[in-house]
Amino acid sequence: MSTAVKLDMMPSKDISDYAEKVLLNNPFENFKIENYKYAQLHKSITSNVSLKEFKADFSSISSIKNIKLSDTSDIDMLSDLKKWNFNNTDSYFRVNSILERSSKKINLDLFREEIICLDLSLFKENIHLSKASDSPKTLMIINSNLSEDSARSIILNLSENAKLNIIHYNISNSKSFLYFEINQQNNSNLKFISFQSNNIHTRNEFFASLEENCSLDLCGLNIHNYGVNDNYSFIQHMKPSSQSREVFKSIVKSGAITNFQGKIYVDPIAQKTDGYQMSRSLILDNESKANNKPELEIYADDVKCSHGSTVSKLNQDQVYYFKSRGIDEEQAIKILQKAFLVETLEAIENTQIKEYSYSLLDSRL
Amino acid sequence: MLKINNLHVSIEGKQIIKGLSLSINKGEVHALMGPNGSGKSTLSYVLSGKEGYEIEEGTIEYNGKNLLDLEVDERANAGLFLAFQYPMEIPGVQTSFFLKTAINSKRKFLGMPEIDALEFAKLIKSQAEDLGIGSEMLKRDLNVNYSGGEKKKQEILQMSILKPDMAILDETDSGLDIDALRIVSEGVNKLRSEQNSFLVITHYQRLLNYIKPDFVHIIADGRIVKSGDFSLALELEEKGYEDISKTA
Repeated sequence: MSTAVKLDMMPSKDISDYAEKVLLNNPFENFKIENYKYAQLHKSITSNVSLKEFKADFSSISSIKNIKLSDTSDIDMLSDLKKWNFNNTDSYFRVNSILERSSKKINLDLFREEIICLDLSLFKENIHLSKASDSPKTLMIINSNLSEDSARSIILNLSENAKLNIIHYNISNSKSFLYFEINQQNNSNLKFISFQSNNIHTRNEFFASLEENCSLDLCGLNIHNYGVNDNYSFIQHMKPSSQSREVFKSIVKSGAITNFQGKIYVDPIAQKTDGYQMSRSLILDNESKANNKPELEIYADDVKCSHGSTVSKLNQDQVYYFKSRGIDEEQAIKILQKAFLVETLEAIENTQIKEYSYSLLDSRL
Repeated sequence: MLKINNLHVSIEGKQIIKGLSLSINKGEVHALMGPNGSGKSTLSYVLSGKEGYEIEEGTIEYNGKNLLDLEVDERANAGLFLAFQYPMEIPGVQTSFFLKTAINSKRKFLGMPEIDALEFAKLIKSQAEDLGIGSEMLKRDLNVNYSGGEKKKQEILQMSILKPDMAILDETDSGLDIDALRIVSEGVNKLRSEQNSFLVITHYQRLLNYIKPDFVHIIADGRIVKSGDFSLALELEEKGYEDISKTA
């Protein structure tokens, strides 16, 4: 079922070179592939909006463990390509980064702190994360200001009964290209929230494979990026009784493009799967665009799978209602944007991180 | 307080209001009654400043100012309030947050500091209790999954805390059962004073049994065709709009 990438299509040895080529030098020019339908990888995207630099400031959050190089060990990171159930599609990025780049292993169980911070700018390597315990931990994954080297692969293995919360702050002021691979063993539980803002050209790929009785919450919040912001997700239910819930919300303005393509795959043996996918985009002006493409591929007959997708403008009647109560238009629009997006942050368990994320959102409205 | 003179309004080229004049003084309660399509709701939207209505002719003066020069939010902060026939649902915005934002907008307009949390809680609690609105409802998203009656009560709650000088009630009685009608009317009567005025738009005389108007106007085909006191509402109930319009 899986389609390996032909080697002659792989661009370069070095991943940053590769990212450069992917993002700038057009290796995909004459290449049509469904997974990359809207990503515009062949285009050099620049921003005509002057970007505000974002510096991750987590001073309001107490007792964070910042992962240092000394906390990691070297590892050969080989992804099992055969395990993914694609239909003539694949992630070029994954294949490249995994085959051609060294990797660092991080065992999340070794840290005592509840909040662990992985700042990707500190690592040149791909990252291999693992967690086996069910202790309540939140992993922050930061990619901010990665302009020098904007591509990474991150593989996460959750063992049986493991639990983890991830908040990914993708606020890079630049171009970034991330591949996430999530492997969930029986009874594992993951909440993954990706907060994306202020990027010029991004591609985030989320590949998740669920065994029995797992639960996955995958939420994306995308507000005021420039150029192209592209999210691709592929969630495969490989064993019975797992649950996945996916919510992606985007707000675009100033000529930006937001894309979401997501597939839920349910294997013939994965009975009692409960899958949900919602993608919604709000377009604030006439220059911006949103492409949403939900996909379901279901081979089991006793499953519950639903998806929905909307693209709309701001509801002017709602703005009018606010104004009729004395609230000015600018504030009304801010409140309505926040109301639209806030569902994606609700799954955050740690209150400090939740408050920080809300304030970060406020600053981006 | 409010002076409408020879108002002509059209929507997408279609004339809806055709030379309407109406004066409302401080402390007065006016009822505006009329059949479907006579221009009642259009008038309320024009007064609140909703987009999409073309004022072809006429003037509206509010407290000596040209109302038509003001934005929707400026009109609200100047003391004009429209209780909607169909209040908007706002998913994702908690009712109490909305109320607080509205109060603070008015306070900002008046040059006052933001309301403190305790004062706000007290204010909301007392007003909401009178209207039979539980604290659970204030935590819910504004108007989302509210029943028809709850939505109307919510409008009256907003009115009670914003304390407008000029309130327009657009068919607030539609969709209300007898008990809700009484509660909502009590909310209105509590606010009634010599300082503020009401324009009560309704189809039915029933509401006016609870909110006694000083004047009753009949609107038909975009014009006020007859004005009188409360007895006009009783006459209307008896004869119907067609008869009254004929005798006008």
